[in-house]
Amino acid sequence: MYISNYYLIFQCYPPIHTLNKNCMNISIEKKKFSEAVHIVARFAQRKITTLPALSSILIIAGDDGIKMRATNLETGIDFKLKGECTEKGVVAISALLLQQIASSLTQEGKIILEHIGDIVSITSGTSKSSIKTTPYDDFPSIPFPESSKNRIVLPGSILRSLFTTIAPCASSSTVRPELSSIYLSIEGGILTAVATDSFRLAEKKVPLTNKGIQGKFLIPAKNALDIAQALPNEDIIMSFDEHQCAFISNDGMLVSRLTNAVYPDYRQIIPKESVVEAIVLRKDFENALKRTIIFSDLFQKIRINFDPKKNLFSFFTRNADIGESIETLPARISGSALELSFNHRYLSAVLSLTGSESISILAVGIGRPLIIKGVGDTSLLYLVSPMNQ
Amino acid sequence: MNKGDPKELWEYVLTQIELSISPANFNTWFRNSFIVKISEDGVVHIGVPSQFFKDWYLKKFHTLLLKIIRDVSYEFRNIEYVIVKDENRRLSKEVKNVRGALELPLDDFYINKSDNLNPRYTFDTFVIGSFNNLAYAAAQAVLARPGITYNPLFIYGDTGRGKTHLIQAIGNQYKKQYPGQKVFYLTSEKFVVDYTDSVQAGTANRFKDKYRHYDLLIMDDIQFLSKKERSEEELFHLFNALHDMNKQIIFSSDRSPIAIPDITERLKGRLASGMTIDIGEPDPESRMAIVRKKAASHGVLLSDEVIEYVAVSMNGSIRELEGMVNSIICHAQVKGFAPDIMEVRQSLRSFTRPQKNISIKNIVDKIAEFYNIDEESIYEKTRRREVVRPRQIIMYILREDFHISYPTIGTKLGGRDHTTVIHSCEKIKREMVVDSELEKEIQNIRTLLV
Repeated sequence: MYISNYYLIFQCYPPIHTLNKNCMNISIEKKKFSEAVHIVARFAQRKITTLPALSSILIIAGDDGIKMRATNLETGIDFKLKGECTEKGVVAISALLLQQIASSLTQEGKIILEHIGDIVSITSGTSKSSIKTTPYDDFPSIPFPESSKNRIVLPGSILRSLFTTIAPCASSSTVRPELSSIYLSIEGGILTAVATDSFRLAEKKVPLTNKGIQGKFLIPAKNALDIAQALPNEDIIMSFDEHQCAFISNDGMLVSRLTNAVYPDYRQIIPKESVVEAIVLRKDFENALKRTIIFSDLFQKIRINFDPKKNLFSFFTRNADIGESIETLPARISGSALELSFNHRYLSAVLSLTGSESISILAVGIGRPLIIKGVGDTSLLYLVSPMNQ
Repeated sequence: MNKGDPKELWEYVLTQIELSISPANFNTWFRNSFIVKISEDGVVHIGVPSQFFKDWYLKKFHTLLLKIIRDVSYEFRNIEYVIVKDENRRLSKEVKNVRGALELPLDDFYINKSDNLNPRYTFDTFVIGSFNNLAYAAAQAVLARPGITYNPLFIYGDTGRGKTHLIQAIGNQYKKQYPGQKVFYLTSEKFVVDYTDSVQAGTANRFKDKYRHYDLLIMDDIQFLSKKERSEEELFHLFNALHDMNKQIIFSSDRSPIAIPDITERLKGRLASGMTIDIGEPDPESRMAIVRKKAASHGVLLSDEVIEYVAVSMNGSIRELEGMVNSIICHAQVKGFAPDIMEVRQSLRSFTRPQKNISIKNIVDKIAEFYNIDEESIYEKTRRREVVRPRQIIMYILREDFHISYPTIGTKLGGRDHTTVIHSCEKIKREMVVDSELEKEIQNIRTLLV
């Protein structure tokens, strides 16, 4: 219930200029303060070369409590924190500076921020520091998705793990913006997240409680990672329109720009049938992979082999300068014998995507991608393209 | 300043804005924006990268911008802000990954299921030369006004001349230019299979509806439709339906519509009713351009000497040319450097093939069979009417299509005088002008000899 209240409050947020400008007095618990600064500072621009307001954190003390805001024009945050407000006001302080102060705070107790003229004094216990503020007139407003129909509720912890596991599979190059984004689609009560860098593809599904909503959008993977770090564990509202998406919780709101591009129809590259399947223990797979890749060459090539007769699955690497290594692990293999080469980084990436005890590896043939799934984990589908030789 | 030109107008606006706001503000807010278009009712559309920009423009810069453009001209009534697609954003240059990427990208598997088009075939990779520039120009005209300028567009030429590439490129470009419109590419063989399946399943009506809702229909290798009467009829009706609604249709074939054997007259007429264009044999310069482009697309730089050798020594189709380039590229990748002329000569030996020859006897056989007469009688001195006519036609075809000298034709066909041959050829030529039946017969014979 409280969430939806917040949503309303945000919509009729009092404009900054009605607040008292050059006078503010608030006191916050040190621990709360430093937590908030660490979360919010991530959203400020890291380079100080452009507009100073963008590399600052805006602290607002108003009727509805104390808030911190930051944006780098890709993502934005509006974070609520508990504290006492004796005098309302607004101030912008360099995010880097606040971060350094916050990480140096020790002991329990409160911290008092006082704004007089263009100086903010921070008093904590016996120490007092005065900081020059940056002009906040230039601080941009944080846009909110226009239509409120596209809203889903899900636990923040689930979304966080979804974003952090799948985002590394997106492309780091910005040449194709759609590939450096995570594709999220909501259909039939299931949230599907897909990321690919055109060499491998990861698809993960999460069931939702409210079923009626449909929609799809692309969120830049970099932004998704930033947002994931700031998401709380409890339920959040995810709301989106054509250009923006927002994540609303009791702690505040996070927004991100969306990628405005068409995502390739990835479903058609997922092979429908397979010629061989191997089921191996995750622990075996992980250890064997770790040992074998010591010997991998410049191209990070690793060869895998399915042996259905002996029920063995093996890894092989060779480096002309160091030597070679072969690891064989017991597996349940059904189908025909096959040998394929991969980039080992793409194989080990699957381990962070699924938590299941054993994994199933399906191959379609030479030159065709490999499918990896967690046994008993239907939420994940991972596709790796083989190497050319 | 030309105020109608969005680029110039924007540059002027920028110089004015730069004077009134701080450099930091200017760099942050204006570097990635541009004027998308100026609509006819005087509204200037400014493209911005995200909602953050849109909101801030509306809040902070709207009045300033409006004042500046009003100063330029009163024709500008308002400014609107649009968020541009990511592909259109100007992106910062990035360092390319130099690590040898040997993985097969997943993209290569793509054939778009909804329209069957292969995204690899685009105009960017299409080499234009004197042999196909007419076809290219027609394709551009079709794209400019689909369904109106040339409908249907019929492109024909021998195998491996780039017909499929051209028509698929039209489809891909059409998709880009007219988003939301439906494109469909298929081969005539697929059409026939689809039709027979639908008849079998008793869903012929659904089959009709399925094809009728496309805005652009591309049908490849239409010649395979010959002798399939029901499918031809279905295509005929489909053609009429699409043509009536001004939907663009594109066909390709390996011969001109008139030369396709065993296809109903009414369909033939319709195929030829729009624009019929022949893609000829690529000239050596174009072949060199193709080789260069193909090699460059794989990141291999070949010397001019090698390119010329490859382009000249092969006179087959472009497809064979590409095969040859692929084998050179493969060599280059294995060895790590581009091969020189000697190596190329060595590796391409396997590609050269004997010239195809058709003997006179072969032609006589075919034509005699066509007229259902004994082949021997052609060589005899007989002047029976049913033999004389085929004999004259043989002479005509040998002369016209195979450029054999009159005396040789005479001696080969039973020791006749060269004047007899000349007379026969002239006679057939004269009669063909008035007798359309004869003309058709000869066309049919020609298709037998290809």
